[in-house]
Amino acid sequence: MSGLDGIGVKVIDAGGDGSARAVLREIETLLTVLVEKGEEGSIDLSSLPLTPEAYDLLEETLGEGEVTAEVSSLGVTRVHETGIPGVWWVTHYNEDDDVMAEFIEVTHCPEILLTPEDDVKDGLEALRARLFEENMNKSSVE
Amino acid sequence: MQDETLLDILKKRGVSRRAFLKFCAAATSLMALPPTMASAVAEALAKAKRPSVIWLSFQECTGCTESLTRSFSPTLESLIFDAISLDYHETLQAAAGTAAEAARETAMKENWGKYLLLVDGSVSTRGGGYYSTVAGKTNLETLKEAAAGAAAVVCIGTCSSFGGIPYAKPNPTGAVPVSDIVKDKPVIHVPGCPPIPAVITGVLVQYLTFGTIPDLDELGRPRSYYGDTIHDRCYRRPYYDQGKFAKSFDDEGARNGWCLFELGCKGPTTHNVCATTKWNQGTSFPIQSGHGCLGCSEPNFWDNGSFYQALSTPIDSVAAAAATAAVVGVAAGVGVGIANHHAKAKAKAEHETVTVNDLEK
Ligand code: SF4
Repeated sequence: MSGLDGIGVKVIDAGGDGSARAVLREIETLLTVLVEKGEEGSIDLSSLPLTPEAYDLLEETLGEGEVTAEVSSLGVTRVHETGIPGVWWVTHYNEDDDVMAEFIEVTHCPEILLTPEDDVKDGLEALRARLFEENMNKSSVE
Repeated sequence: MQDETLLDILKKRGVSRRAFLKFCAAATSLMALPPTMASAVAEALAKAKRPSVIWLSFQECTGCTESLTRSFSPTLESLIFDAISLDYHETLQAAAGTAAEAARETAMKENWGKYLLLVDGSVSTRGGGYYSTVAGKTNLETLKEAAAGAAAVVCIGTCSSFGGIPYAKPNPTGAVPVSDIVKDKPVIHVPGCPPIPAVITGVLVQYLTFGTIPDLDELGRPRSYYGDTIHDRCYRRPYYDQGKFAKSFDDEGARNGWCLFELGCKGPTTHNVCATTKWNQGTSFPIQSGHGCLGCSEPNFWDNGSFYQALSTPIDSVAAAAATAAVVGVAAGVGVGIANHHAKAKAKAEHETVTVNDLEK
């Protein structure tokens, strides 16, 4: 038992998960818009005063879906689709694993998972360069 | 160098396009803009030029610089810091003495009318300002000179914004805030003792991104960060609304995590984002650590009576005050988190929330 455990802190639930319910309602609204108009939306969780209980309530209500993904770029970004298809949980970490920003994205696929247009072009060039090099090596061996 | 865009600089640091997207998402969140703005931010940042920044330190404790540079790394903050051209900062620059002063003069000349002037610390005016001098020049002279060529002045911390501790009674150095001296340039106040690092960079990013000055409140503070009070977003608020107050720092109420209003919490009159952005990588903030808010981002916080005296002396009026706040809470509080700060701050402009006067009513 550490010294801290010796301090008699007792946390009583003040019913402080109200903001979680509000976020859930907002998600419902955004999902309706996605279904009816095909427009995407998102909620910035880092700007809300969510208590751990509110987080739990959010996670519990949304549940776990089929997709989990990790993007390694400027630290890790963890993405998962919640149990509500179309509702994604996106957490951006920095290289020290601290949360930089956290969003609920209501979309068919979060943008961070898509390959940027210019990267595809760069990719094609890179592949061609590799094939070219391989050809050169082959011809120099022959 | 000056023609490089932010995207160029980030690319040089090995930041990929996806990373840039992530950077923009985080920057959007940092600026308290709605997440849908991320693509607009990305577009603007990709084109943004590297601005020249001159940082002057006057009567201060270097806490503001510490706040910024001790923020976790490598971070968004550090990336943004790399993206600006910090041409002069006494504590951070490598050059010293005459070379440093020469660097400042060159940067000012080359970017005349375009550089961003950051100031921490108040300005001594007594006897012409000789209480605080750098390189034989009074802070007062340096400020006037540097402000003349600045696009805008950003006051980092409560001292440069409102006078702060040097300005506290009896103010032996005749300290004044920057806005008392600089009258013909936009002056942005980023108060706090020190300000939250994310707020400092958020204001810089906004300028970097859109080249504009953020929407300011009547005290010159960006509404996106100072539009709400600590009390508006305090997680102990439900206790306040229920009238459950800690009466001393070691009583049952304190252990239960009840509201610290009666122990002098200045949250209801203090505008800042400590309750949501928090400190030390989002670990905690004073109220979460069991101490009331000191009100450090408000003018004259040092002279506003004891830190441990309740805003209104409650006794019987606590229940009434709590009732007032509960009503306000219902009107302004439900789904508060959802609305983005910006839109909300606009609404706030017309409907200011709880003030000391409201509480005392
Ligand atoms: S008075 Fe202070 S502790 Fe109480 S709810 Fe307001 S900000 Fe939080």
